[in-house]
Amino acid sequence: MILAAYRSEWIKLRRPTLLYGTYAGLATAASLFAVLMFSQANNQPSGPGGLPNLADLAKPNGLVHGLNRAVILLGVVAFGLAAAQIAGEYGLGTLRQLLVRQPRRPVLLAGKYLAVITFMVGAVLFASVVAMGVSLVLAQARHIPTAAWFSSTGISDLTRALLDLVLAVVGYATLGTAVGLFLRSSVFAVVAGFAWLLAIEGVIGRVLGSANAWLPGTLLETIGQGGAATVSFTHALIISLIYLVALGIATTVVFARKDVTA
Amino acid sequence: MPTTLLADAVSTTGLTKSFGDRTVVDHLDLSIPSGSVCGFVGPNGAGKTTTIRMLLGLIRPTEGAGTVLGGDLHDPSSYLSRVGALIEAPAFYPQLSGRDNLRALATLGQIRPGVIGGVLERVGLGERSGDRYRNFSLGMKQRLGIAAALLAAPDLLVLDEPTNGLDPAGILEMRELIRSLADDGITVFISSHLLSEIEFICDHLVMIRSGRSVFQGRVTDLRESQGSDIVVRPERDEQCGELAAVLQGAGYLADIDDDHHSVVVRCGSDRAADVNRVAMGAGIALTHLAVRERSLEEAFFALTGTHTGEDRQTATLGEIG
Repeated sequence: MILAAYRSEWIKLRRPTLLYGTYAGLATAASLFAVLMFSQANNQPSGPGGLPNLADLAKPNGLVHGLNRAVILLGVVAFGLAAAQIAGEYGLGTLRQLLVRQPRRPVLLAGKYLAVITFMVGAVLFASVVAMGVSLVLAQARHIPTAAWFSSTGISDLTRALLDLVLAVVGYATLGTAVGLFLRSSVFAVVAGFAWLLAIEGVIGRVLGSANAWLPGTLLETIGQGGAATVSFTHALIISLIYLVALGIATTVVFARKDVTA
Repeated sequence: MPTTLLADAVSTTGLTKSFGDRTVVDHLDLSIPSGSVCGFVGPNGAGKTTTIRMLLGLIRPTEGAGTVLGGDLHDPSSYLSRVGALIEAPAFYPQLSGRDNLRALATLGQIRPGVIGGVLERVGLGERSGDRYRNFSLGMKQRLGIAAALLAAPDLLVLDEPTNGLDPAGILEMRELIRSLADDGITVFISSHLLSEIEFICDHLVMIRSGRSVFQGRVTDLRESQGSDIVVRPERDEQCGELAAVLQGAGYLADIDDDHHSVVVRCGSDRAADVNRVAMGAGIALTHLAVRERSLEEAFFALTGTHTGEDRQTATLGEIG
């Protein structure tokens, strides 16, 4: 039954404007990050948090730098898409149609959630592959050796980076699903989510540095980047898991029990 | 239309829904016979849509019990696979075609995709099903809503205001469609504020007011319980006042009709000869004497106690429609 809900959701997700638009948009954005890095790289030593220099890009993890910088962009898109998909059902009134055909609400929610996750993971992997292709071309243009990228260490670093990125995107999509369901308005959910992730958390983090270890958006970004100077990857993963499991349970209970009056 | 009814398609006892301290549906006992076309009427805010949503598992009853197609009302998954519904305005994804919208619902309900073409043809959308939903006219949207409701080959069809926004031709088509569905043995539960539609389509009726049932039964039973009037027309219009006075003097409840050409006498058809005799005795010749059944609209107003305001206006417009 979850598979039926999953396949049904994909009929919506695979419409060309959404599918091609999202995949092409994210691939373009990820490629721009690569262009920025490779065009700005020089022989000066790179500072903490700054752009990598030419020597950094030649290392086994040279391909990973661009992916790390795209985390927040991919996360915000995953959040917005998930929030819009669930809140849109309330706004359009289509939820009542769906619930007549699938009255087991947790099943419907699980199918929709998994479809959005699959969609976003696909988009992230596609964008990553395109960005890596662009990086290869740019590396040739800047005479940066790429042999280390394809060493066992390089492949291992890349796999780990992609996995971290996927984990972060799943987290952002879970947040988006929950916010969309609680707010029940696509526009409100997306605006509120973007404001929180892109602005409010940043302000809180600057004012209260220790809060970075507990803010959900910052933790997911940390996971996507494989760890940060101030917050370890393990801490970010454990706290995020606790947040997301709690949020998942709360979302499922609310969705299952709340009257549908829209 | 079946004349022998086997069991109730829908049966509720004490069905109640409260939002906070406001009770919208108040201990409603519903009984909708299988195979019937049952109208569901009541003034705005009477609790019709809330009742329908409870039957469809969208709203959790505060209290009460019931069955739908033999399944427990508190376990909608036990019966919804055999129910089709159009709830208020049709709601679909604007960017998808009509056919893809149905495909999404069919996939979700694990319904064979092969039925989609059939239901689209049945509602007359076969050729336009590839168009995006956002480009559909109001009538097409309504028909797609019916098509979605028919996807599951339902035994019970719940339609909430199915003729909303349709032009007269569309209303006629919808009426014929509902009749053809009833001919197939589907129980149709239809909520409408268009009393004329209910009168045309339905054989059974549920009337509610403030969340409580005020009438349930056959439409014919309701009409009979409401009785009839005798309408008499004097030779000259200016005699209407005198005729009404004479009849009142003879013990009848008589009033000049709204058209000012006739007098309406509130009595059964068996008094027609006496009414004629009283008029003749007063020297008033009648050019017209007829028995007039009281309309469903009059019954509605009498039972729901809504004689003025929005509800009356709505119902009157319904008669025109």
